[in-house]
Amino acid sequence: MKKNLLLLVLTLCPLWLMAAGNPGFGERGYRLTTMVEYSYNPVWSHHANLDVQALIPINPHFEMEGKVQLSTADVYTGAVQIRPKFEVPVGEIFLEADMMYRCVSRNETSDMTAALAIGYRMDYISVTIGSFSRILDDWNRDWHTDESYVVEPFNLMYRLEVFCRPQTNPWNLSFLFSNVDDYQMERMWQPLFGVRAYYDVVDHWQLNFGAQCKPTGMFHLDASFYGATLRAGFTYKF
Amino acid sequence: MRKNYSYLALGALVLASCVNDDTTLDMKGMFSNNGEPVNVRFAQSKAYNDSVGEIHLNMGADAYTIYMCTDSHITRKTHKNLDYFMAQYKAASSPKLALHLGDIIDAQKNIPCADSIVHYAGQTKKDTLFLTPGNHDVYFKQWPILRSFFKTSAYWFDTNNGTKKLDLFICLDSADGTLGTEQMKWLKDLLAAKSKEGYRRIIVFTHTHLWKLDDSQGHTSNYALEEMYEITSLLSQYGVECVWSGHQHARQSVIYKGVHYLVLDATKDSEKGQSYVTVDMGETINYHYFNYPPVE
Repeated sequence: MKKNLLLLVLTLCPLWLMAAGNPGFGERGYRLTTMVEYSYNPVWSHHANLDVQALIPINPHFEMEGKVQLSTADVYTGAVQIRPKFEVPVGEIFLEADMMYRCVSRNETSDMTAALAIGYRMDYISVTIGSFSRILDDWNRDWHTDESYVVEPFNLMYRLEVFCRPQTNPWNLSFLFSNVDDYQMERMWQPLFGVRAYYDVVDHWQLNFGAQCKPTGMFHLDASFYGATLRAGFTYKF
Repeated sequence: MRKNYSYLALGALVLASCVNDDTTLDMKGMFSNNGEPVNVRFAQSKAYNDSVGEIHLNMGADAYTIYMCTDSHITRKTHKNLDYFMAQYKAASSPKLALHLGDIIDAQKNIPCADSIVHYAGQTKKDTLFLTPGNHDVYFKQWPILRSFFKTSAYWFDTNNGTKKLDLFICLDSADGTLGTEQMKWLKDLLAAKSKEGYRRIIVFTHTHLWKLDDSQGHTSNYALEEMYEITSLLSQYGVECVWSGHQHARQSVIYKGVHYLVLDATKDSEKGQSYVTVDMGETINYHYFNYPPVE
C-alpha cells in the first residue's frame, strides 16, 4: 500500500508542476463529430468503420456524449457517457460514467460494459482512472442448461493523453496510452497506443485525425502487433 | 533536477520488481517479439507434424484417465511439485495420458532442468505426456530450446479403443496471447474436417485462458477481445466440449456457448494450495482435484 501511495505521489507531483500558470478550459458547446476509419486485425481482417458522436453540454458542470460505430466487420457499437466536471484552481476534475453495448453480430455475441472513472485534465495532459464491468452473452443461450453469460466484474480502466499544445488551442497533437477507446474496453493488461490531432479550420468546423495501434502479449513479455486503426473526420461545433 | 530523481526512482522501482532469483527479465518483450512470433512457431510446428505423421493412441478401452497440470514454473533450484505430478502419473494404472498446459519453466534456460518431463513428450511419440507452451516457455528467445525437446507447439492427436475413434485433442500455441493468423486458419480447417468424423468428444488444450473473471490472475493477460469473440464462437460452432488451460494460477470453470472452459490451479512449488487434476474420460467426464503435498 505504501508503495502504491509513493507511486501516486511521484506521478501526480510532476503533473501539478507542469500545470502551473496555465489558463483554465473554455466551456464546450454542442458538437457533432463524424469519422471514417480503416482498421485491421488478424480476426476481422481489413474493415471500415463509420463513427458518429454527439456532445451535449447540459450545464457548465455536466455534459453527455452519445457514440455510435457501424463496422463492415459486422460489429455495431453504441455508448453513452455522462460527465460531471468541476474546475479547480489548476485544471479540471471530472467523473465519467460509461455504458457501452457492442453487438458482435458476426459471432452472435453481446458485449456489455459499464464503467465509472475519475479524471483530471490540464492544458497539456489528461488522466483518467476507474473500473469497468463486462457481461458477455451468447445470442442463442439455452436457458435450460448450465450454460451462462460471463461476468467479468472488475477491470481497471486507465487513460493518459499528453498534448503538444494547450487543449484550448485551435490545433493540437496528442499521444494516448489507454486500455479503452470510444468503442472498446479492453482488459487492463491489453493497452492501446494512439495519436490524435485536430485543426479548427473555420469557426464551426474542425478536422480530426487519429491512429491507434493494438499490440498483444505485452504482459506475456512477448508482444506482437495485433491491430491498427486510422481515422479521419470532422466536427461541427454549434 | 528533482523531477529527474522522481522518474529515476519510479523506473528503478519498476525494474526492481522484475528481477527474480533465476535471471533478469528482458523488458524489451513488452514492446516487441522476443524471439520467434507465433506464426513462425506454428509454421515450424506444422512442418514437424507433417514430417512425423499423425498420432493415434490406442487406449485399449473406452474409459481412460488424463493427468493434467499447468504452470509448474520450475527454477534451477526447485521442481518438486512437477516431479510429484510425474510420479503420480507414472504410478497410475493404464490406460492413461497426461497433459501439461504450459509455463513449464519460470525463466530462461530452465527447460533442461525439467528432466522429469523433457524426454517424455507425447508429441515426439516417445511417451503419452503432451505439452503446450506457455509464455514463460517461449519468451526471451527460448523457442529454439523448447523446440529441441518438444518439437512442436500446435498439433492434434486422437485416442481410440482399438476398433473405433474416441476423443480428439487439439493443442494450441497461445504463448503470445494470440493464435496468430495461420494457426487460427488451421484450427478452423481442422475443426471443420474433424467435427464430421464421429469423435466422442473434441477437447482443446492451450495455455492462455479466455476470461478475466476475478483478480486471481494478477498481471497475466488474455487474448484481444476480437480474438476471444472469434475463438469462443468457433469452438462452439464445431461442437468442442472442453477447453482446458492454465496461465492464471487459480481454478475457474465456465460454461459458455455450450463449451466448458476449465482453468487449472498451478503446480508451482512456491505457491500454496495448488493442485493437479485427473479426468475420467468415459461416457461422461469427471474431474478430481488433488492438492500437492507441502513443499519443504
